[in-house]
Amino acid sequence: MKGWKHVIAITSLVVSTSVLALATAIGGLGYILPTPGVRDLAYWYLVTVLSPSNKLFTAMSPEAVTSIVWDYRGLDTLFETSVFFLAIIGSIALMRGIKIVPERLRNYSSGMSPIVKTVTRITAGMIIAVAASIALHGHLTPGGGFQGGATAAVAPLLLMVVFSIYFIIKSGITEERMLALRTAGLVGIVFTAFSACIIAASLGTQAYVFQNQPKSTAAVGLPASIMGSLTSGTLIFFNLFEFFAVAAGFTIVFLLLSIPENIVKQALRGVESEH
Amino acid sequence: MLSMETLTYGILALLGVISLLGTYLAIIEKDLVKAVIFSALQSTAYAFIFYILMAPDIVLVYVPVAVGLYPAIVLFLIKKTGRLDGDEP
Amino acid sequence: MSTELDVFLFGIMTYAIIMNLGVSLYGVFRRPSITKKIIALTIFSDSANVLAIIVGYRGWPNPWHSPIPPILLNRHPTPQYISEFAKVAVDPLPQALVLTAVVIGLAVTVFLVFLALQLYRLYGTVDVRKVRRLRG
Repeated sequence: MKGWKHVIAITSLVVSTSVLALATAIGGLGYILPTPGVRDLAYWYLVTVLSPSNKLFTAMSPEAVTSIVWDYRGLDTLFETSVFFLAIIGSIALMRGIKIVPERLRNYSSGMSPIVKTVTRITAGMIIAVAASIALHGHLTPGGGFQGGATAAVAPLLLMVVFSIYFIIKSGITEERMLALRTAGLVGIVFTAFSACIIAASLGTQAYVFQNQPKSTAAVGLPASIMGSLTSGTLIFFNLFEFFAVAAGFTIVFLLLSIPENIVKQALRGVESEH
Repeated sequence: MLSMETLTYGILALLGVISLLGTYLAIIEKDLVKAVIFSALQSTAYAFIFYILMAPDIVLVYVPVAVGLYPAIVLFLIKKTGRLDGDEP
Repeated sequence: MSTELDVFLFGIMTYAIIMNLGVSLYGVFRRPSITKKIIALTIFSDSANVLAIIVGYRGWPNPWHSPIPPILLNRHPTPQYISEFAKVAVDPLPQALVLTAVVIGLAVTVFLVFLALQLYRLYGTVDVRKVRRLRG
């Protein structure tokens, strides 16, 4: 009886989807197939993203998505990063007062079998290497700081599940260090955003915040290529710093989430009995 | 004679229906661990949709997030708070 | 005939994603467990992201050649190469917006998970009906 109810529900969902699609196909609900053309704004992005002749607007990167994320709409991404920062800070604030003391975690340091541990050691190294490659080639191929950081955050998670939180803390990935790394990444992002201004100020001219390539009204900018290889000015630095910020931020969260619950309860009771 | 375009849209339609199944099962399932697994099925279908819709950047960020990190976080939560979507009143 | 079939198949995917939005909203509103609400909320945001990517897609230049990702393959392009590229590449702007939205969405989900954990520590349950009864 209960099984039938779900079968009927799924069938009705699929059938109503098909009926709507059929109604669209015979012209009842307008035209939803994407048109062969593209919007003017998108066309402008595609034309100017890497055009050495168009010095005024180009971002000098073959990767249009990374260019929009960190050059054309860099300020958007700066505020998105601050939302990310606040969400992680909020998580840390909810777990305030709970110190990760390695000695108290020793009882939880069992982990899995040696075969799994050896394989995980190799795999974690490979994940970090792939993540760094994704982040550092973000201005040339699909990828960037967000993608690389999210990929790199898989490695500590894997180590945490296969070994234990005790192993992670002992091997030097502590909450304080990750917080320092993450803050360094955020400071690097802000510094890169102001880099053109700083260069201009030292040369006695003016430049914009978040400026990447030299413009006609502000003739300073970071070099598009260093020794023949394309670095796209600020994009490679933004990707590198965002990689650290995202990877370290998620690692902090996993460290906090993997504290055993009875230690947290003891700490909470301790905080309550103090006042 | 089917063209490549029609074939691609057919695969997209199949992936859409798979994601619909995954979503429905993930919402209805009482056992939360199974619900996370169905949700990962739906995420996999979405990852393929992103790939076919020519968004390799999104695939690179969506696969570790939605198939790796996000189920792990929710599994941590389930491990600490209990496995059943409490249906008894 | 072929065009109608294309619209039908593309429509199935689009309406399936819209159905996902509806089903996940049902999960957010009607399921009692906060864990299940979090799962439903992530499905909701993912579906919205897929719709944004669908908006950025473009029709095929001809039935045997698909559009290409918005990434130039030539590091020293000529103006002619660029104009050819702009005729077949998809819209990069929704991809850039979705890219950040996915990562920020995960961070916000993490925050919600910590809130749910705190609720569990204080009330001993994540069932919203029981939490409501424990209020007084």
